[in-house]
Amino acid sequence: MCRASRAFSVRCMETVIETHALTKKFGDRAAVNEVNLTVPAGVAFGFLGPNGAGKTTMIRTLLGLTQPTSGDVALLGLPQPAKRAEALARVGAIVEEPKFHAHLTGRENLKVVAAARDRAAEGRIAESLERVGLAHRADDRVKTYSLGMRQRLGIARCLLADPALLILDEPMNGLDPAGILDMRRLIRSFVDEGRTVFLSSHLLDEVEKTCDQVAIVDQGVVVVQGAVGEIAAQGDPTLLIEIDDPAAARTVLGGESRVTHVEEEGALILRLTLGDGLVPAEINRALVNAGIAVSRLEPARATLEETFLSITSRLGANE
Amino acid sequence: MRLISAEVLKLVRRRGLMTWSLLLTVGSVLIAEIIVVTLHAVNPAHHGPAGGATNLEHYVFLASGLGNVAAILIGATAGTQDVSSGVFRDLVVTGRKRSTLFRVRAPGALIVFLPMLAVSLGLAIAGSFVFAGNLPNPSATTILDFIEYSVAITVIDVIIAVGLAAFASSRVVVGVMIAWNAIVGPLLLQISALGSARKAIDVAAAQHFTPPNVDTSKIAMSTVTALLVLVIWAAVFTNVGRWWTVRRDA
Repeated sequence: MCRASRAFSVRCMETVIETHALTKKFGDRAAVNEVNLTVPAGVAFGFLGPNGAGKTTMIRTLLGLTQPTSGDVALLGLPQPAKRAEALARVGAIVEEPKFHAHLTGRENLKVVAAARDRAAEGRIAESLERVGLAHRADDRVKTYSLGMRQRLGIARCLLADPALLILDEPMNGLDPAGILDMRRLIRSFVDEGRTVFLSSHLLDEVEKTCDQVAIVDQGVVVVQGAVGEIAAQGDPTLLIEIDDPAAARTVLGGESRVTHVEEEGALILRLTLGDGLVPAEINRALVNAGIAVSRLEPARATLEETFLSITSRLGANE
Repeated sequence: MRLISAEVLKLVRRRGLMTWSLLLTVGSVLIAEIIVVTLHAVNPAHHGPAGGATNLEHYVFLASGLGNVAAILIGATAGTQDVSSGVFRDLVVTGRKRSTLFRVRAPGALIVFLPMLAVSLGLAIAGSFVFAGNLPNPSATTILDFIEYSVAITVIDVIIAVGLAAFASSRVVVGVMIAWNAIVGPLLLQISALGSARKAIDVAAAQHFTPPNVDTSKIAMSTVTALLVLVIWAAVFTNVGRWWTVRRDA
């Protein structure tokens, strides 16, 4: 994981974020509950969860914006808050939506934050604006910027640190499809440079397309974490079937308790979620025995979304 | 120093704040001088010359009275703008100490405010000589006393406003401080039953620096006491503001 790029010149590290039993309570409610999180260096890491799951609180706690109730945090291998300044000097972060002094220009806003960073930061302003495609609007007041431009200016502000780690809270929020595509490319380019991007999102599709690794969080608890593909594979198997009589097929499948979910995919196509060791051949046999013609039977790859829904619905059922 | 420059940048780019502050400081003295000069030119029998020691007193009280409002506006803005714009958290995640982020606000505000005060006092002093006519010119001691008074009464308010603004909105800070300076403070100074306790009021300490023949109602105290009172007021509000800035969630 050690590269020659400046992003990793400070230290060669295996993990950029490590938490141990990290907890943040508001009164009796735990927004972050005993979280053990390990984010490896050099990846795009998705922190995925529904709204209110505790993602932003987790980010705020990681960055020292709010004090944890208990537990330990290390950023870039440096214990927090003991080595806070040293760690944050190489971290760029956007928490919630990026905010700016609206009466200042984009360039002036970057100057304000560069003044709080090391002397080299001011020299990176032009380069950062160029990188996010805002050089031509750099001298316009931020109050004239669209949300997408503000998101990009937020990224430019992160780049002032020449960050080894970027922490982005819902970076796709409010972006149009072209903006989302640009943001995804930007994030991947950071990873290609050897930087680590930790992004929180409730947009499953985006996390799946952008990230290498993911942690799913719900109700303040990290339910699962690992490579996106591995986690997606953890969901129950699904099966696409094409039949001549979907209504009759639904009746037959309704009698099989191991079919946990049936969803219409097209006029004659159903998507089934199989549980408890049920195999496609058994489904085929049941349908044929009921006189239903099966013209297609195709195991489908589980998406992160299905895994996510499966995990979070299980949690809800266990409450 | 770079952080202080950033504070200055944030303030001077606020057109409304700058316009009003310039109007309250430089503009007020300039307008007053133009009016008095015009009146004297139109009817010299009824209106004396626009300069001299007496008119200097009027100009200085105008500059420091309205300049005080400008000082409060600038101090309150400097103290609240990072939090109200939402940028404070972005400054905190740079790893800079919150106490450092707080500590640069007052110097930044003073760098913006003091030149305005200097120009307005310069206009007042220049006018008192240029338009003196047959009136006596102010002495160097009188001029120095007026400068000391103007600086004391305004600088202390910039510092207090920055401290207060750490835990209140700028509107609240401006309202409370104008009320204190214009109503509550002077009222307390009139209550003789308070005796020497009135020396602890910042307004009384600032008034100590006016020339001896001006404002005979001021509370008697030594220069050391007056300076001590102002320093204590500045220290209290600075430390409370810093404490809250360090403690609050960003």
